[in-house]
Amino acid sequence: MAAPRPRSDLRAETTAARLAALELPQGGFTAPARADALARLQAMGLPTRRDEYWKYTDPTTLTAADASPAAVLVDAEPPVFGAIDRLKIVFVDGVFDAAASDDLSLEGLEISRLADAGDIHWAQGLYGTLEAQGQIPVARPLAALNSAAATDGVLIRVTGRVSKPVELIYRHMSEASDAILHHLVKIDPQADVTILESGPGAARFNTAMEVDLGAKASFHHIRVQGSDHHRRAVTHVFARIASEATFKSFTLTMNGALTRNEAVLDIVGDHATAHVAGAAVGDAKSVPFHQDDTVFVTHAGTHCESRQVFKKVLKNGATGVFQGKILVKPGAQKTDGYQISQALLLDGDSQFLAKPELEIYADDVKCSHGSTSGAIDDTALFYLRSRGVPLAEAQALLVLSFLGDAIAEIEDAGIAGAITDRLEAWLARRL
Amino acid sequence: MLEIKNLHVKLEEEDKVILKGVDLTVEAGKVHAIMGPNGSGKSTLSYVLSGRGGYEVTEGSATLDGAELLDMEPEERAAAGLFLAFQYPVEIPGVGNMTFLRTAVNAQRKARGEPEVSAAEFLKLVRAQAKLLNIDAEMLKRPVNVGFSGGEKKRNEILQMAMLEPRMCILDETDSGLDVDAMRLVADGVNALRDGKRGFLVITHYQRLLDHIKPDVVHIMADGRIVKTGGPELALEVEENGYTDILAEVQ
Amino acid sequence: MALDTDIDAPELEAPQLEVREGVDRETVETVANMGSYKYGWDTDIEMDYAPKGLSEDIVRLISSKNDEPEWMTEWRLQAYRRWLQLEEPRWAMLNYPEIDYQDQFYYATPKSMAERPKSLEDVDPKLLATYEKLGIPLKEQMLLAGVEGAEEITSGRKVAVDAVFDSVSVGTTFKAELAKAGVIFCSISEAIREHPELVKKYLGTVVPQSDNFFATLNSAVFSDGSFVYIPPNTKCPMELSTYFRINAENTGQFERTLIIADKGSYVSYLEGCTAPKRDIAQLHAAVVEIVLLDDAEVKYSTVQNWYPGDEEGKGGIYNFVTKRADCRGARSKVMWTQVETGSAITWKYPSCLLRGDDSQGEFYSIAIANNMQQADTGTKMVHLGKNTKSRIVSKGISAGKAQNTYRGLVSMHPKATNSRNYTQCDSLLIGSGCGAHTVPYIEVKNNSSRVEHEATTSKVDDDQLFYCRSRGMDEEEAVALVVNGFCREVLQALPMEFAMEAQQLVAISLEGSVG
Repeated sequence: MAAPRPRSDLRAETTAARLAALELPQGGFTAPARADALARLQAMGLPTRRDEYWKYTDPTTLTAADASPAAVLVDAEPPVFGAIDRLKIVFVDGVFDAAASDDLSLEGLEISRLADAGDIHWAQGLYGTLEAQGQIPVARPLAALNSAAATDGVLIRVTGRVSKPVELIYRHMSEASDAILHHLVKIDPQADVTILESGPGAARFNTAMEVDLGAKASFHHIRVQGSDHHRRAVTHVFARIASEATFKSFTLTMNGALTRNEAVLDIVGDHATAHVAGAAVGDAKSVPFHQDDTVFVTHAGTHCESRQVFKKVLKNGATGVFQGKILVKPGAQKTDGYQISQALLLDGDSQFLAKPELEIYADDVKCSHGSTSGAIDDTALFYLRSRGVPLAEAQALLVLSFLGDAIAEIEDAGIAGAITDRLEAWLARRL
Repeated sequence: MLEIKNLHVKLEEEDKVILKGVDLTVEAGKVHAIMGPNGSGKSTLSYVLSGRGGYEVTEGSATLDGAELLDMEPEERAAAGLFLAFQYPVEIPGVGNMTFLRTAVNAQRKARGEPEVSAAEFLKLVRAQAKLLNIDAEMLKRPVNVGFSGGEKKRNEILQMAMLEPRMCILDETDSGLDVDAMRLVADGVNALRDGKRGFLVITHYQRLLDHIKPDVVHIMADGRIVKTGGPELALEVEENGYTDILAEVQ
Repeated sequence: MALDTDIDAPELEAPQLEVREGVDRETVETVANMGSYKYGWDTDIEMDYAPKGLSEDIVRLISSKNDEPEWMTEWRLQAYRRWLQLEEPRWAMLNYPEIDYQDQFYYATPKSMAERPKSLEDVDPKLLATYEKLGIPLKEQMLLAGVEGAEEITSGRKVAVDAVFDSVSVGTTFKAELAKAGVIFCSISEAIREHPELVKKYLGTVVPQSDNFFATLNSAVFSDGSFVYIPPNTKCPMELSTYFRINAENTGQFERTLIIADKGSYVSYLEGCTAPKRDIAQLHAAVVEIVLLDDAEVKYSTVQNWYPGDEEGKGGIYNFVTKRADCRGARSKVMWTQVETGSAITWKYPSCLLRGDDSQGEFYSIAIANNMQQADTGTKMVHLGKNTKSRIVSKGISAGKAQNTYRGLVSMHPKATNSRNYTQCDSLLIGSGCGAHTVPYIEVKNNSSRVEHEATTSKVDDDQLFYCRSRGMDEEEAVALVVNGFCREVLQALPMEFAMEAQQLVAISLEGSVG
């Protein structure tokens, strides 16, 4: 293969400037992992538009030395998961808020705060590990930056069946906040947990969550990214999925000048399941909306199933990006891989950019993907209107049904209902 | 009740004139039938009345109880009491049949200033109507028209008609694709709605539907105009002699 | 050297094949009679070589060998200077050793072509033998060899052929008959001399000189190729065809094809390629440009069967090809059909620029990679005009240790309103050592257009194979049959005679892939 392209001066300068603006945490059990991440970041440099996986999303505001300010949205809506009994862990502009959080003890869980974890911890062998593995074959410099520079986060060990979900609530209070959070979730064999996430987090928000699933473990993840308009976020989920384990993740994105959600799922065991889904709705009328899902699912085990279901509804010049890959390694026979990405463009200015990939090195597999883009179906719209449903309501109904396949990936009916309510409210305001 | 005067319609995208001056009045409580050969403009008339895009009205008017339909959005026409049973009912994947019906019923009630029906009450109403039309509960749960057979789709149209209680019903080729039993079921559904106040406009190519839905007046349409109007016997004449003779006689 | 002496040339009259029903018996029979690479002989003909390597002097030499005017020499030199600044692209999923561009011959021509022979007896018999092996019938051989007066005695099948042997066009058939219709079909070097106004107007306007590394190289050193001009409102009276053959060792082949379909014209163009077995990889970097004016229609079909290298991956052609059609005119229509079975490395993306309103582009492809072959191929559909339509049907088959990638772009520009694209990419895997990959790029920038992409990957169906075998077919026959069925939609898009050849190739290419 060709020698790696020499790093451009710009890339090196940007990386140096970003690092100079940071105060890197010192000491503690994460020190070796942080040093390793820093070295990797310096070798690869922060991303630029010239990188293959940043072709459709400009990373400049994510890599700049300082965060651009983002107005705080005064949210009139009740908390999205307010009706669900859950354990709340609150971060304000990226800093753990003990007073606002619940007591961190719950049967089947061990929760500690990254910032106070000390020198010895069960998470020592895990911190930065899945992130480092997730750098091959595609570099994810912002994740390496996260491992090197994260200032807070939670370390969750799941030892049994947990009675209620854990919610990570991210409040954005300061217009100039620039937060980096790193979470670990280690789920013991046969244990089971649901993690909820909600809120914008900060003006600029970089999160990474490493999820290690033991055999027959299950992980349910439902995330609602806050509806602040000016915020910019890059999120990473790295998962290692053992035999017969189940990983399911769903994300709802409403508003946001820039959102890049990366999911890197490594199915290492046999008979495992990995689903990742997303619904994004954006109206770029007054503030830009750019939403990017970049998903990489690797099948190394046999008899595994993976699904990627991504739906985007775009309005007034909004941009939706989907880059998804199913990689089936040699020997990963009986793989069932599925991927769908669809965009509904509500007007002529919005755009959908997609790169749905399959890379397959085993023969006894069933893999497929589909991608479509288009406007609302005029015939269906007319049919509804001919039955007396007003235009906006008819559009909302069709948009919701379009998003339905993604929402259907949420197993818990109560949570799915909370997501649908939030979407309906957004559609009522925007259509 | 429904008054169409000198209606001229062309295709929006092309210079093709479809309706060339249609005059028609349907009185309350009456059933009018429009028959005509393919391409005579029958279906276009139903689409233009219900407000489907793609057509341009160049002249004329169409009023329902005095209100100009042609100025209204499709949903306003529905709220005004107009209902079109589609020749090809549209499939809407992802939208449940029940959700669809309830949204439609409540939207119309809201438009008329009536209170919305509660979920329980609605369910009762639907079940009762569905039973009459031999529509099983499974069909109500499925997405709108998706995977429905031709007969199921048409029965679903009549179910919507029954639930929405329109003032004026237009049935566009409702008999197409139906076997005799399905047609009887659909006709029974329609006849049940004949209450002496509601108007009907039945568009059909064949006379056979009119055996089941007895019309008061029959119109023959050809080349964008109503060319002949008569009683039920006119339909029988078409059945026996085809359109050619009637059209020749008109010219 | 392998030199099969008893290969039957395909018959003159193509038997009526039922391609539509999937696969005919004949395919299965042919499979049994074929060697592993039918075209793997070389012909020991005395050649004129230019010195190895690339420089401005070589570029000038190629230009002067073709008696080119000054403007053409300058055009080539411009391209050469640009090429020096370009880097070889490495984004494709292809793994091959560094190419030494100075260790190639850039020009080779059979010595016997220096003077035009008077009769068949004067033609170098070895050249004739070459054509026979290519399956070109005798009378056409005369035409190709340039025997004067041969055109009058030719009858029967009407396919005009331009053959490019190593770097030089050695003959074009049916020129007189085509001329009656106003069609110009000749070598590009002849066109540069005889029709400079057309060449000047269109050359490099679809694939610019500096388009990409390989196209730029081609612009500098192309030695010959075919030229077609179809005048307004003319349906070309016969199919046009080019046979490309690399014969000389260490010789790069860089042919350039330019097709201009004027308003309201139609032409179907066929392209076939073969090369001898060589232990050393050989470079092929061609450019095809098609210009379509209002209401023009062009069908371009390729059966690419360059030598793929041996089972260990030794030798074979490195095939880097830039093909692009520019639907400049309203309602113009282009259809690319390709059957890619040969080459060690394939890097090829026949594309459509849908500029004219209501223009249409289609791409039908079968790409087969067996043993150590690597293919990275697909298309680009760039929708610029209103109401434009495109359709992509790609069938990739991987066997042995081969890697096969579909790479494509569908781009709907903001002004390409009410446009449509439908893409179907299917991959079939035979054996656990190969790879099948799909890399589509979809860019939609308006909402009245609809884009649909579907792709599947699966293995050859065991039940189907078992069913065939229970009816008496051996495993290879069964695979050939099932694979031909898998490719049916693309085979149907080929002209009948090509379809037959393609079916046979599908079978041959997969030999040794099972068992």
